Amino acid sequence: MATQDTALEIRSERRSAAQRNALLMRIAELAPIVIVLFVLFGGALVLALLQSLGFAPWFGINTFPDFSYFGALWGSSAFWVSLGLTLYYGFVSTIIALIMAIVLSLALIKPFRGKILYKYLYKLPLMIPYTVGIALAVLMLGNGGILSRLLALVGMIDNPGDFPQILKTHYGWGIMAVYVWKQVPFMTLAIYAVLLGIGRETEEAAAILGATRRQIFFSVTLPQILPGIVSSTLICFAFNVGAFEAPFILGGGYPDTLPVVAWRYFNDANYAFQLQGMATVVSIGIVAGVILFAYLAVYRRYERMRGRA
Amino acid sequence: MTQVQLRAVRKEFGSFVALEHIDLNIASGELVALLGPSGCGKTTTLRMISGLDNPTDGEILFDGKDVSDVPVRDRNVGMVFQRYALFPHMNVEKNITFGLRVRNIPAEEVEARLEEILDIVQLTQFRHRFPAQLSGGQMQRVAIARTLITKPSVLMMDEPLANLDTNLRGEMRRFIRDLQQRFNITTIFVTHDQVEAMELSDRVAVLFDGRLEQFDTPDAIYHRPDKISVAKFMGASNIFQGTIGDGVVKAGFADLAVTGTQQFDAGEQVDVMVRSEAIRLLKQPQDGAANQVEGEIRTSDFFGATVSYTVQVGDHQLNVDEHSTEKLDPGSRVFLQLPGDRIWLFPKRAN
Repeated sequence: MATQDTALEIRSERRSAAQRNALLMRIAELAPIVIVLFVLFGGALVLALLQSLGFAPWFGINTFPDFSYFGALWGSSAFWVSLGLTLYYGFVSTIIALIMAIVLSLALIKPFRGKILYKYLYKLPLMIPYTVGIALAVLMLGNGGILSRLLALVGMIDNPGDFPQILKTHYGWGIMAVYVWKQVPFMTLAIYAVLLGIGRETEEAAAILGATRRQIFFSVTLPQILPGIVSSTLICFAFNVGAFEAPFILGGGYPDTLPVVAWRYFNDANYAFQLQGMATVVSIGIVAGVILFAYLAVYRRYERMRGRA
Repeated sequence: MTQVQLRAVRKEFGSFVALEHIDLNIASGELVALLGPSGCGKTTTLRMISGLDNPTDGEILFDGKDVSDVPVRDRNVGMVFQRYALFPHMNVEKNITFGLRVRNIPAEEVEARLEEILDIVQLTQFRHRFPAQLSGGQMQRVAIARTLITKPSVLMMDEPLANLDTNLRGEMRRFIRDLQQRFNITTIFVTHDQVEAMELSDRVAVLFDGRLEQFDTPDAIYHRPDKISVAKFMGASNIFQGTIGDGVVKAGFADLAVTGTQQFDAGEQVDVMVRSEAIRLLKQPQDGAANQVEGEIRTSDFFGATVSYTVQVGDHQLNVDEHSTEKLDPGSRVFLQLPGDRIWLFPKRAN
């Protein structure tokens, strides 16, 4: 009996040692990405959080934990206006880009003349930096830009100055135009790949079963391309909420979007305002994080309801 | 029940001709197999009948009415796809009732028809499952139920058994045949499997390279093929050249007495075909037997129920399939009898 117990103990020890080794092996395999994430991303996040809570001894400030920076920010009505503006640009441009990307993906699935060339052309904005896109928007859409001059030339407006103001307004048409210009190809790439994966058979089956084109799109195609929609809108919305250059150059001035507000704090001659800037950045992170996690949670729930884990 | 006719149907994809002048008359309630190798145009034919593709030329008629320009959703046909094409985000119930819901059929009728069809395809207990949670056979039955619930005038199936394992395939064949008889629906299915085509269908349309080679009963297709290409495709055969003589065909290894020689001119070159299972293999010669030749077994392969032999007869090799009650070894001397009524002659020009 005693011999049997000893044998069992030895076997159990060997098993736990093997499990330990397997766990260490797994950690070692994940180490490269974990180190990059924790040191670069996580480290910066922790520092930002610490600064926003009053920890900045290098500026001679250490009132940690101090919530006054958040208090001042959240207590001001300007913050909420800026937040609204930030979310407005983020949501509207993501939705416009998504609708255009879906239409483009559906068109690309079908055969047409020059499709190969078109498949290269639509991806061009992906290779051009945002700042170039912003410059193009200024050249094209400004009062005195190419579009206004062209319209004046053909007599649709009396002079370029009569061209409706697109840039530097709080409607943000210029900002959103740049976002959409850049993000439509990205979203199309993601959705088109999903469409290619699902093939045409389910749509054909639906057509044979008597569905109209509208019914096919909403009942069959759209639910199946949701993974592409969710992943691409998630990335684009997160970018739009945190983007700085387009609202800074093409925005309508005060009230600015939150990233521009943060930049103004960072750019202030008074270093102490950097802490306020960090509170703004952390606020953007919290708002974007809550929205994106909620979005993902709703999507995961939808997927689970449809038997997909 | 609907009669389906294809009149001089031609289909081109760019410069590629997928179908060339297809004429096909499928009777009401008939079960027809479109049989042929990959790329022969059988799926294209099915897609044109369904309306998913339009013919470049020719007409498709349902009960004598041209439906070539009728949109797919208005043709009232049903199609079971090779990979089922179930909607992955809908459960069994939603998949099956999709065709009724998009046609705005009242909810009570949808429910009644659903219960009936679930019972027929024996999927009542799986009604809330999603396609990803079903086996291949269950998915197949959902696809069939989804089609039948709409009461289509023509049922089409594209390689319906291709994705199933061997055991399930036999079961599904019987299931499909039973359903077809129960609903008495004109059914067209595509297959590249000769056994499947012969077992399931009333008539078989054999297609090669976009052309209809023969459209007949399974028995005629197998035993009385019109062309040697059909004969070859339908199963293991011995094919050799011969010359028509006086009531015989002069093959290199023997003069064979054959029933159909009178259809040919004396001295005409023909292709001769005899199926491997039609040849009798004997250990001892039979006195007075016609078309009896002596040979030596070169190879013998055991296939369970049958043994397949290659027998050297003169400078020819003949394939012979025999029951596996006794397996003879290579090197054995044997006698082969080639029954004259099961030897088929084809004019050289038909090939």
